[in-house]
Order: sequence, then structure tokens, then C-alpha cells
Amino acid sequence: MLRYIAKRVIAAILTLLVLVTVVFFLVRLMPGEPFTSAKLTPVVAENMQKYYGFDKPLAVQYVQYLKNLLHGDFGYSMKYTNRTVNDIIAATFPFSADLGIRALVTAISFGLVFGIISALNRGNKIDFICVIIAIIGTSVPDFIMGAFLQYFFGIRWGLLPVAQYKGFSYTILPTMSLAFYTLASVSRIMRASMLEVVNQDYIKTARAKGLSSFRITTRHQIRNAIMPVITILGPTVAAVLTGTFVVESIFAIPGMGKYYVDSVSTNDYSMILGMTVFYGSFLVLCNLLVDILYGIVDPRVRIGGKAGEAP
Amino acid sequence: MKNKILCVILTAALAATLFGCGVYEGSDTAPEPIGAEAIGEEPGVSGAVSESLASETPNGGEKIFRYSELQEPTTLDPNKAKCILDNEVAHMTQECLVRNTAGKIEPGIAESWEISDDGLVYTFHLRDAKWSDGESIKAEDFVYGLQRLMDPATASEYAFIGEYVKNGAAVESGEKAPEELGIKAPDDKTVEITLDVATPYFLSLMGSSAQYSPIRKDIVEKYGNDFAATAEKNVYSGPFMITRTADGQIIFAKNPNYWNAGAIKLDGAELNCIAEGNTAVAMYESGELDFVKLPTETVVNYDDIDHEYMNGNEDYFYINEKSDNKILNNKNFRMALNYGLDRNTYIKLATDGVYSPCNALVMPLVSGAEKTYGEEYTVSSYPLDGDMARAQEFLKKAMEEEGFSDPSDIRVEITTTDAEASKKIAEVAQELWTQALGITITIRQVTYADIYGSVLPNGDYEIGYAGWGPDYSDPYTYLELFKSDSPYNYSNYENAEVDKCLNASRTETDAKKRMDLLNKAEQVILDDAALVPLQYRQQHYLLNDAFSGLNFYFCSINTDWTYADKAL
Repeated sequence: MLRYIAKRVIAAILTLLVLVTVVFFLVRLMPGEPFTSAKLTPVVAENMQKYYGFDKPLAVQYVQYLKNLLHGDFGYSMKYTNRTVNDIIAATFPFSADLGIRALVTAISFGLVFGIISALNRGNKIDFICVIIAIIGTSVPDFIMGAFLQYFFGIRWGLLPVAQYKGFSYTILPTMSLAFYTLASVSRIMRASMLEVVNQDYIKTARAKGLSSFRITTRHQIRNAIMPVITILGPTVAAVLTGTFVVESIFAIPGMGKYYVDSVSTNDYSMILGMTVFYGSFLVLCNLLVDILYGIVDPRVRIGGKAGEAP
Repeated sequence: MKNKILCVILTAALAATLFGCGVYEGSDTAPEPIGAEAIGEEPGVSGAVSESLASETPNGGEKIFRYSELQEPTTLDPNKAKCILDNEVAHMTQECLVRNTAGKIEPGIAESWEISDDGLVYTFHLRDAKWSDGESIKAEDFVYGLQRLMDPATASEYAFIGEYVKNGAAVESGEKAPEELGIKAPDDKTVEITLDVATPYFLSLMGSSAQYSPIRKDIVEKYGNDFAATAEKNVYSGPFMITRTADGQIIFAKNPNYWNAGAIKLDGAELNCIAEGNTAVAMYESGELDFVKLPTETVVNYDDIDHEYMNGNEDYFYINEKSDNKILNNKNFRMALNYGLDRNTYIKLATDGVYSPCNALVMPLVSGAEKTYGEEYTVSSYPLDGDMARAQEFLKKAMEEEGFSDPSDIRVEITTTDAEASKKIAEVAQELWTQALGITITIRQVTYADIYGSVLPNGDYEIGYAGWGPDYSDPYTYLELFKSDSPYNYSNYENAEVDKCLNASRTETDAKKRMDLLNKAEQVILDDAALVPLQYRQQHYLLNDAFSGLNFYFCSINTDWTYADKAL
């Protein structure tokens, strides 16, 4: 088991190194410059290049960047002069994370419940409603959902704040907009998986043994049906995190999304790199945890290499 | 039956997750207000600040101006301000020697000043004024501020704005030390600025350019690269001070130490950085904002209640005269482009009629010799409706000269950015020109970073869509775009007469004669059809009726709420 974890950790670190290297050189290939003011004179441009060390050879800059990275230093932003990328991440990530976690918790809990209820009531009205919700959720993009919720709940009926993020009531609409897609897909997968499990032999056996249907559902059906949902959790975290970009913009939430998108359009090299490395590490970490979790839950994964041996 | 019980239990569990889950606990207050605790401890900010912070929701007797911007300021360091918003924030929080309020020069930290007869030496006499931390504002703070602006080590993107001061350009390029800059402090209460050439608009420029703000050396040295990174890492000399920068907001409070605090009516302001224009409008609608700029596409919905001002931005098609496409070097062809564009139709199609069509280079609102340039001078130019018959004549001549027999053989390319609005502008022009002239036009889209990063400076375009905003209220700021040795001469335009007029205007001390020269230069540029002027940008906005006293200006500062007041 330890060997398995060590292997995974080394793979994660290598992934990150490749990410940093590729992004570092790719941003320099982007058309344009980070200093894009219409009024930039050549003298000023030269001073700016020197200030950020762009006058040195690219290889030197790369080594310097890696050195700084070891200390966790992403450097100063080029657009937001006087502010470090670390500062900006520290100020904005809590908002993105807060929104992301809320959306994930909402999506998974509601999604599972809808899926289960739907499967248990297969073919009747409740199932129909749940399926409709799932179809709407997977087919309506979050920016439409956000604008829609904002218009009705915020402006038309005045029930909830239109935008910003200053308290619980402010979080409801953005959470709903962001959670809806994931909620729908979780509920669809859970429903399908429940229905698949219900015909398995062990369920029939349990029923034959005379267990109550309540026990069968809770102890046998749900436990086995939930596996596919765990499988999609990794990609779901990524989807929710990237989804925050749009939702943050609609609801004027001061999260990371705007800075990330902006940095790309303004060629803010240090910001693009810093944010990519940060997000990248986050996702690599999530996948690492999922991998390890898998190893713990399912012994076949960690001894994958020796499949031929007897257990 | 059991299954129904299960459904009920699950629903109950779900409700419990929602309201009892750890994530939601204590979240009725916003996520940690970063930096808020630090404010009280900082020596730079007085106790009054912490109190005003406590009442974050403006209500009762507080006069708080709540407004929004699509961007957030890129810096709070006045020396490094590089866009209108940076400059506006510094204008509210710092006081230069003079203050420019919508074009009117008011005394700032200087209570009086003299200008030498040759217009080169300005001597300012400072009043007793204090920084927000109670220190006196000294002449040395202005000297340090300007030296820091021009010092290459500071790397201010807007350093060129200080090139008017003697040795400015040499200091900027590192040839001379910052100490050799033409600004001196003979004593604590006198600032002496020597210019390179007599600049009639120098006071106006200084009063609207944050880069000329006084800067405290001890504060810069204390924070180094982090100077002004957050509210407490600077001190303030202006009407307001920044008390908090977090959560996408900048909070301003009245500066009790401001020398003219009696003239300031607001208790504070709240700048909300909201990237989505429609969200800001929705917040205005629900009463959470007092002032909001309307996105152009929503202007039609507010025909009766909105207001507007000219923000000074003018949009053009630059024509690259050194392009490989020789037809663009043909004056008759450029004339055909200008006469063949019905600008009134263009405005309706491309901007829903929100902007005004433009057929000149200089915006008429800038200062002339005594009144505005537009009141004193006119230029003869292409009719706003276009003139298709004349356009055809010009096109015919151009085709003869360049050896074309079929207009559709003439191919030109418009380069524009990938923004939706810029794309539309290029498409409308493409359509109108194709109809009027029968030439073949293609469109190339590049990123915004690319336009000024390489396309325009490297002359890598044929017809390029771009705009210009004035840095000071004088025709020169626009005309400079067509001076052969100017870094902003993106058209690679060279005309000896234009250069002669513009150079002469720099030494001409008679205001009227100088303005005549500038007007002549503009006329030559238009006669040469060196560009295709498109539109003056108008900004539409909504303002809560309770507010009065806002000023709008087209140079460097658009929204000036220094003297705003709220009826309670």
C-alpha cells in the first residue's frame, strides 16, 4: 500500500513539473505583450521589461521562476502592479472555494436523493418530475441558469440579493446555478445504477431470505449503486471549480475566476502561471486523494500490476 | 410502503445537510474580510476610520456614494496609475498642487503660483496641509513623487506623462539621475518646476494626472514593492482615504485632515468592481447602487431616465501607409473610403446609435485658445452621410493610378479585436464599403493584447480598428498620433507640413497662433485622409436622484464625485 501511495505522489509531482514547464513556455508564445497600454512608449516598455526581468534569457527566467516556486512565490502581477499573485489568490480563493464547496455539497446530496427517490418510484409521477429536473439540469448551461434565477428571485420577486457575496442569503442563487448541472448528472447516474443493481442476484437472494425492502434498499442496493457516483467525483470537482468562473461573473462574486480569465486576455504572465499552477496543484491533489481512496476501497486497484497472482 | 418512509427520511436528511452542515455554519457574515483587522493597528489610519468601517451598510444619516465599475483599479500607487479608473481613485484620494475639476483649475496643495514670462518655470506656494496620518505635506513630497515617477527603477507605465518636466525624458531612459529632474524644493513651502518647453496646458494636465501626486518617501521605503498594495499601505493627501480593499470593493471615507474638508459633503463612498455590466444594472434596479454605467446594448431600455457624458474616447480606423498593400498608400483610395462610409447609418448599425458619428480627428470639447476648440475652430471634412458619387470619383482615379480595372480586385483587410463590439464595427464597415465601392474586404481578428502589443506598433495591418483617449485637454493629444516621430504614429504617416505645424506649436507662446497651427495640422491630416474617423464615445449612466454635484470630464477622469452630495 505504501509503495502504491509513493508511486502516486511521485507521479503527481512530475505532473506538476510538466505543467509548470509547458505553461511557462507556452505563455511566451502567446501573441502580444503583457504591457499593452495604447500609450506605451518604447523607453517605458524597455523599463517595464527590465523591471520584470524579461531582458534576461528565457532559460534564466525559467530557472529563477522554479526557484521562486520552491518558496511558494508566484511573483508580482503585471496588470495589478504592486500586488503579488499570492496576495490575489489569498484574497480571492476563499470565495471560489466557499462557493465550490457549497455547490458540491448541494449537488451531491440532492443528486443522490433525487436519484434514489426516482429509482424507487420508477415509472410514476415522482420519477417523471425527477427525470425532468435532471434533463433540464444537464441541458441548461450555468450562465443561463444564473441569469434566469437572478432575474426572477432577485429582480422580479425581490426575494434574494441580486449579486455579491456578503452573507448566507447571498450564497443561495450562485450555489443553485453552479450546483444544478452536477446535481442533475449525479441524480441520473444514481438512478441508472440503482435500477441496474435491483436486478442483481444478491438483491434477489436478500429478498428471498425475507429481508424487508427498507433493509434491502439501504444495506444492499444504495451501497452498491453509489460506486459509479464516487468514480465521477474527481472530474466533478474540476467541473464545479471551472464552472465558478461564469457564476462568479454573473453574481459579482470576488473570486478567482475573473482574475484567471483576465490574466489570459491581458497576457499577465505571472498571473496566468500562478493561477494555473495553483489550480493544477489543486486538481492533482484531488486526483491523488481519489486514487489513494480507490486503493483503500478496492484492493484490486493497488495490486493492479500483479493481477495474475492469487490474492 | 417502506420505500415511501425511506423517501421521507432521505428528504429529512437532506434538509439537515443543508442547514446543519459545517460549511454553512457562521456564514451569515461574509468570508473573512481580509485586511480589515489590520486597519485599526496601522499607524497611518486614524480611529475615525475604524468607526466608519463598522457601519458598512450605508443608511441613516451617512452620505455614502455607492457606484460600480466593470474593472477594478490595477493599482493604488498614484505613480503607477495606468488607466482612467486608477487615475480616478487617486484623484479622490490624493491632492496634486492644483486640482482639475471638469476642466476648471482649482488651487490644490498650492494656494498660489507664478509662471515665468517664457512659460517655463512654475513656482508653487504651498498651504499648510496634512496627510491623513497627521504629518505635514511638504514640498519635498512633490519632488520625491515626480522623481519616483520618472525613475526607470519604478517602471511606471505612465512615466511619459512626466516628460514635460525638464530632463524628464533623459531621467526616464536612465541617462540622467532622478535628482537632475526639473523640480526643486527651495524650502518646505515652495515647489519649483521647470519645463522643457512652454506647455500651456501643463496646469490642467497636472491637475488631472494622478502621476503628479505627492508621495511620502518614508512610506514607500517602509513597504517597498508592496507600497499601496492595500488600503493601509499608503497615506492620503486628498478629500477621501481608502479604508478597505477587499471582497471586490474599495471603501472610501472622508479624510478629516484634508485641507478643504469643509467643501466635501460625502461621508464616504463604496466602489464595487462588477465585471458583468448587466449585474451592476440589476443591482442599481434593486437599490444596491447609486450610480451605474449602462452597457451599450442596454441603453435602449433606459431612454427616458438615463444621462450621458462624452468620455473623450474616439474610435478610428488607422490606415497603415507603409503596408505591403500599395493601394492604401493612394490618397484617392483613402478619400474613397472616407466618402464611401455613411457614418450615420454606420452608427445605427454598429452601436445602436449610442455613440455619435465623427468626421474629425480632434474632439471638439478640448480647450482652444480661450473657449473650447470646437467653438473656435471648424475643419472641413467628409460629410457624415457620406457622398457616394464623390466616393466613386475618388475610387475611379485611384484605380487608374494603381492599374485596377475591376473594383472587386482591390482587396483590403480590416484588423480588429475579438471583442464582440469591435467585431461588429468591422463587419458593418465591411458591409457598407462593399456596397458603396464594390471592393473586397476581409476581416482579421486578434486579441486585445496583440493589437497594442504587436499589430499596431509593428505596422502589421492594413486597416486597423483602435481608439484614443486624451491625456490632457488640448488638440495636441490627438494630433500627436500623426506626427512622424511620435511613438503613437501607428499609421506610419509622414507629412512635412504636419510635422512643421506641430513642432512650431511647441514653441509658439501666443495661444491664438498656437491654436491656428494645430488647426492647420488637423486640416492637412483630414485632407490627406490619413485615417477614417468613426465615432465619439458617449457613456450612458443611471444616477440615484438623491445625488447631486457629480462632475464628468473627458480627460483622464470621467466620473468625479469629489463634490457630490446626497439629499437625505
